[in-house]
Amino acid sequence: MIKINNLKKAYGKKIVLSIDDLTINALELVGIVGNNGAGKTTMLSLILDLIKPSTGTVQSKDQLVSKTDDWKNYTGSYLNEGFLIPFLTPMEFLEFIGKLHGLNSADIKAFLTENASFYAEDITAKKYIRELSSGNKNKVGILASMLSKPEILILDEPFANLDPSSQSWLKSKLKKMNDDGVTIIISSHDLKHVTDICSRILLIENGIIVKDKNTNAETLDELENYFNVR
Amino acid sequence: MIELLIHQWKEKIRSPFWQKSIWLNIVLGILGIYLLLNIVFIAYFADVILKKIFASTDVVETFTRLLFYYFAFDLIFRFLVQQVPTLSIQPYLTLPVKKSKLLHYPLIKSVPDFINLVALLLILPFFVKVICVTETPLFCLAWFITVFSLVATNNFLNFSLKKYFSKRPLFILFLLAIVGLIIYLDKTRVIPFSRYFSRGLFRIAYTQSLVIIPLIIAAISYYLGYSLLKKNAYIEDTQTSQRTNAGSLSFLTRYGEIGNLIRTEIKMILRNKRPKSLLYVSTIFLAYGFIFYQNRNIDNYLILIFVGFFLTSAFGITYGQYSFSWESSYFDSYIANKISPFNYVKSKYLLFAVTSLFCFMITLPYAIISYKIAFINAAMLLYNVGISSIILLLFCTYNTSRIDLGRSQFMNYQGTGFTQFLSVIPVAGFPVIVYLLFKYFDLPQYSIFTLGLLGAVAIVFNKYLLQMVARQFVKRKYKMAVGFRQI
Repeated sequence: MIKINNLKKAYGKKIVLSIDDLTINALELVGIVGNNGAGKTTMLSLILDLIKPSTGTVQSKDQLVSKTDDWKNYTGSYLNEGFLIPFLTPMEFLEFIGKLHGLNSADIKAFLTENASFYAEDITAKKYIRELSSGNKNKVGILASMLSKPEILILDEPFANLDPSSQSWLKSKLKKMNDDGVTIIISSHDLKHVTDICSRILLIENGIIVKDKNTNAETLDELENYFNVR
Repeated sequence: MIELLIHQWKEKIRSPFWQKSIWLNIVLGILGIYLLLNIVFIAYFADVILKKIFASTDVVETFTRLLFYYFAFDLIFRFLVQQVPTLSIQPYLTLPVKKSKLLHYPLIKSVPDFINLVALLLILPFFVKVICVTETPLFCLAWFITVFSLVATNNFLNFSLKKYFSKRPLFILFLLAIVGLIIYLDKTRVIPFSRYFSRGLFRIAYTQSLVIIPLIIAAISYYLGYSLLKKNAYIEDTQTSQRTNAGSLSFLTRYGEIGNLIRTEIKMILRNKRPKSLLYVSTIFLAYGFIFYQNRNIDNYLILIFVGFFLTSAFGITYGQYSFSWESSYFDSYIANKISPFNYVKSKYLLFAVTSLFCFMITLPYAIISYKIAFINAAMLLYNVGISSIILLLFCTYNTSRIDLGRSQFMNYQGTGFTQFLSVIPVAGFPVIVYLLFKYFDLPQYSIFTLGLLGAVAIVFNKYLLQMVARQFVKRKYKMAVGFRQI
């Protein structure tokens, strides 16, 4: 599904990300873990063609993401607040994104009813996105990324700022989407969540993938040891 | 307290805008100094000017009388444009600093302001040159204290006015009406307010003990501002939740992706402070016709072309020169989502075209002055829609600085770069060159036909030109995005 080749991103002389070769297959649910500043967001931004790589390429379904726009049809993403339009209400924003993918108001309504237990009243109230709490902003972004029924879903720290019930809802939602055929890439600091749902885990340190493993019973222990959380 | 001021200074010099474009700041600095020198010049020769215009024998009296008008307009001007620094204390509210102490800080910080500097430069030269040499030292001292107490009063009063009235647009009309009434009553001498004012001020200056009155007034205005801040020094009060007019502009949704983009952009303009104030300012530009369309100019094609150019692009160029930067806070969502660059660019073009047409229609009544104006403005409309728009958009792909939508437009150079200066030169310069060319052959009228025709041709080939802009946009989008992400 996604092929990364000889990808490097450098600011001045400092290399912040360097991936020689990485393939993410269809139907994988990939979790990216690593310390702050390790390069997780940079990697996701490069996959989404938000920043220009210093060298190397990213391919989505064998097409270069920097050369075509086709991948935008089947890719949903939410990295940070920069993806939200602050002066719209959440409903207006979802409508805006929905329209870009050719959905009509009925489709959006159906989508919201389906996921009603995820969001609070604030999201349907007539409030601007800039007035929402960080958690609710995060929810709006996640909903928008799922709205178009994407084949690939890319989320940066989706569990951050969410209340416990929303976290657990999101976990089962991601799992279910994955079962239904969606390829998912998420980054997170919550090792438990990641090992619970991900089929494969990438550990990034100083811009380099130091571990690339399929999840098994020992993975959580392994990661906890690595991060010294015991 | 001093540490707070140091932090503020650091905030200023460490802001990415300030650090990034030193050259731009030098240019702006020179412009600012030039402006201030003009003020000093006027103030220094105020006695000569007053003698000439008002044929006044007592210049000190006339100057004092005019100060009444100055204070009236100063207050309105402050209300409209001066930014009140309230939010900047937020990070300190939870720190072990006495709150009562902290609250003096925004008030003090408002003193070194551009408007106060203008007041100082406008009054001080006259004071030194005329009053100090003609009057007794005690009179001078009392006059000086009184006048600057009133400047301070205006400055601090603005805090209260802003708080109570800035959410009420009718208030400003009311204020303007009152000032208009006062000026009318004063001019017709029904109630000569300005004379009362100068008489009162002289009274204070002669019987120095009364100087306590203006000082008390200033102190009261300070206290009002202070108690207001004290009441509102909670974070939640700074954000008022607005009800939104959702569902408006829904007719645009029928026009697919482009309609969707234009709809969002119009919402952006109407719901954010900076683009909204720019919208107001550009409607004021439309009144420029009253200044320039005068009988002595009516045969000067150059002036007519120039004014026609600015009238038909009043909003298009002032707003359009920051294209893409307006979306800086959510630019990532535009490039990560399914939006075709061509449609994105075209939505901007259409907004430019429609607003230009709108400006043309509003200013059409100027044609009563001379029918020529209608033709020239129509030609300039074609030129603007066909050519200016494309040049502007091409230049705008070099916009890389973020714009904070919530800040006021006045004296705000955030987002301003050399692009803005550079883009206006070819856009406004081209009509001048065409004019001079035809003037050389003694056929100045033909320059208008030519400009209109070129504009029309460009509109015909609009699709190709926009494709060119879109290609340029795709090439530049990473650089733009990197700049826009920097807060």
